[in-house]
Amino acid sequence: MKLHEFQAKALFREYGIPVPRGELAESAEEAGSIAQRIGMPVVIKAQVLRGGRGKAGLVRRAASPAEAIDAARAILASDWKVRRVLVEQALEYERELYLSLSPDPVAGAHLILASAEGGVEIEDMARSAPEKIQRVRVESMRGLMPWQARHIAFSLGLKTETARKVAHIIEQLYALYAGRDAELAEINPLFLLPDGSLVAGDAKVAIDDNALFRHPEFSQDSADFDSDIAREAAAEGIPYLQFDGDISLMCAGAGLTTAVYDLVVDFGGTVANYLEFGGPNYRKSVRAMELCIRNAPKVILIVTFGTIARADVMAEGIVEAIGRLRPACPIVTCIRGTGEDKAHEILRAAGLQPLTDTEEAVRIAVALARQAADREAGETGASHGGRA
Amino acid sequence: MSILIDTTTRVLVMGATGAEGSFWTGHMMAMGTHVIAAVTPGKEGERIGDLPVFHSVRRAIDARGQADAAMLFVPPRFTKDAVFECLDAGIRLIVTAADGIPLHDALQIRAASRERGCMVVGGNTSGIISPGKAMLGMFPYWIERVYKPGTIGVMTRSGSLTNEVTSMVVRAGFGVSTLAGVGGDPVPGMRFAEVLRLFEQDSETEAVVMIGELGGTMEEEVADQLASGAFTKPLVAFIGGRHAPEGKRMGHAGAITSGGTGGARYKMERLRAAGALVAERASQTGTLLAQALHR
Repeated sequence: MKLHEFQAKALFREYGIPVPRGELAESAEEAGSIAQRIGMPVVIKAQVLRGGRGKAGLVRRAASPAEAIDAARAILASDWKVRRVLVEQALEYERELYLSLSPDPVAGAHLILASAEGGVEIEDMARSAPEKIQRVRVESMRGLMPWQARHIAFSLGLKTETARKVAHIIEQLYALYAGRDAELAEINPLFLLPDGSLVAGDAKVAIDDNALFRHPEFSQDSADFDSDIAREAAAEGIPYLQFDGDISLMCAGAGLTTAVYDLVVDFGGTVANYLEFGGPNYRKSVRAMELCIRNAPKVILIVTFGTIARADVMAEGIVEAIGRLRPACPIVTCIRGTGEDKAHEILRAAGLQPLTDTEEAVRIAVALARQAADREAGETGASHGGRA
Repeated sequence: MSILIDTTTRVLVMGATGAEGSFWTGHMMAMGTHVIAAVTPGKEGERIGDLPVFHSVRRAIDARGQADAAMLFVPPRFTKDAVFECLDAGIRLIVTAADGIPLHDALQIRAASRERGCMVVGGNTSGIISPGKAMLGMFPYWIERVYKPGTIGVMTRSGSLTNEVTSMVVRAGFGVSTLAGVGGDPVPGMRFAEVLRLFEQDSETEAVVMIGELGGTMEEEVADQLASGAFTKPLVAFIGGRHAPEGKRMGHAGAITSGGTGGARYKMERLRAAGALVAERASQTGTLLAQALHR
């Protein structure tokens, strides 16, 4: 679960990592009055979970409250569905540093990355100038030792006093990362101000979804989903991704669903959504199909090869779902695995053709989607009807 | 031969008294796996069929003798504790099925298993099966067109896709020596490279099929192994997620690209350059295998 910048900065404050003065605004007017209160100049930053906000025009500087209002209005009216902006004091700085903590899956450790040249994408720097990045591995069973924080800080070529402050921030960042089960904690840039103080210009924190049971203070709000359908699927515990194509994937198993996605694109089709109803969800066919239908897909493609997810149970559920929901689009089924013979009987009895080859099923789904598109194009003249 | 498990492996099962645990423990035994004890705290004295249940791993081993391997049907939040209980009892191979182990727990599990030279397979895996011999986990071994004994090693990050790909291997006339699921998590206890080392040493494994996907660096590590000559048998690879959009997590927690690395295409190129036969689609796996083994 990625946190918004303002949430991550609230955590920084809690852990004693300095952040600029700033407040959250939900309207342009509010942004203006916050700007007045904290003093000019300010930076207006969209609170959205995407990288490259600067390039997308979602971070703007303002020299007066009137400019702040205009900037906030432009950001809130952009195509990025921005609901909130962070209004922060704009800081003059001498240099930008970089600090991050992330897992090292091979060693089973944590990795601190630090650089005296922050403000750029660390992946870019790792390619172009890897020697400018300090890397220190933190043993997961032992945790960060203070000497490690000092060693990194003193290796960055900073003045002694500054290095001491950086060491402290590294320790605090680690305390946050470890204490809140983060999968990433990053400060980029970390500003060094003319008076020698350090302030986190940006804050990126992602909390491990699997550890949320240890941290009831975090809750995912509705703004963080791609669509209402995605939010409802999440509430049901059904893995779901929203796309905007024609074929609704209702498959079982993450690996297989991902492979089916690849095949759809290979054969020239487009995906409306990715939905998995395998594993613990294999009795939820009705709910799964209901979510798929909401995308008004041209085809629903069901591919499974289940072990725990019994094919016969899924086939029964699919037949029940069709009976209850009466989907307007064709359904292609390729259901295999535990109980498949019985599953095929059930599907045949309901008038469905039980396919057994994934590629064949995908080809048929793509062809059916194309036929439906051609039909629609015929009905509406040459114009393409938009989808609600 | 096979790797990791065979008919002589003495197995202890944790969490075997739950609905899923007991179902699959039953199948493990029905298939011929030598299960010696079950462990569920608070349930000592009960039996699952003929299998005695103990409060702790230590108590089970004291009563039944040392176990070589442990199968864990334990919920994710208790998995770290269960893994350490097994490690502390000297069990050398631990398979954990749990889907949703906290990341920081998984890192500690990985570190501890490396330090002690033990193997922890998973989480988020169906487990390990040596068809016709033994199974630690959940596989529909009764489906003959998937789980046929033979000489092909299979290692995979996915359960569902494994059935799909392995059925292609069998359709092409081959069978499986051992199938090892390393799991779909970002921090697996045992990595592809480590499984591959065992397949290299196994005299009855002629070739290996790797079912990888986008995210992480496990497939790149295998490419390095091939390039350095550390693995000398034919390797056929299938990598899922060629068209996955950047930054989207495709089902498995580990299946995500970040900052331009971990993409399926990149992995495929690295593997091809190192001498692997890389299938564009799962259906090509069998053909490529036949080609690699000149059949």
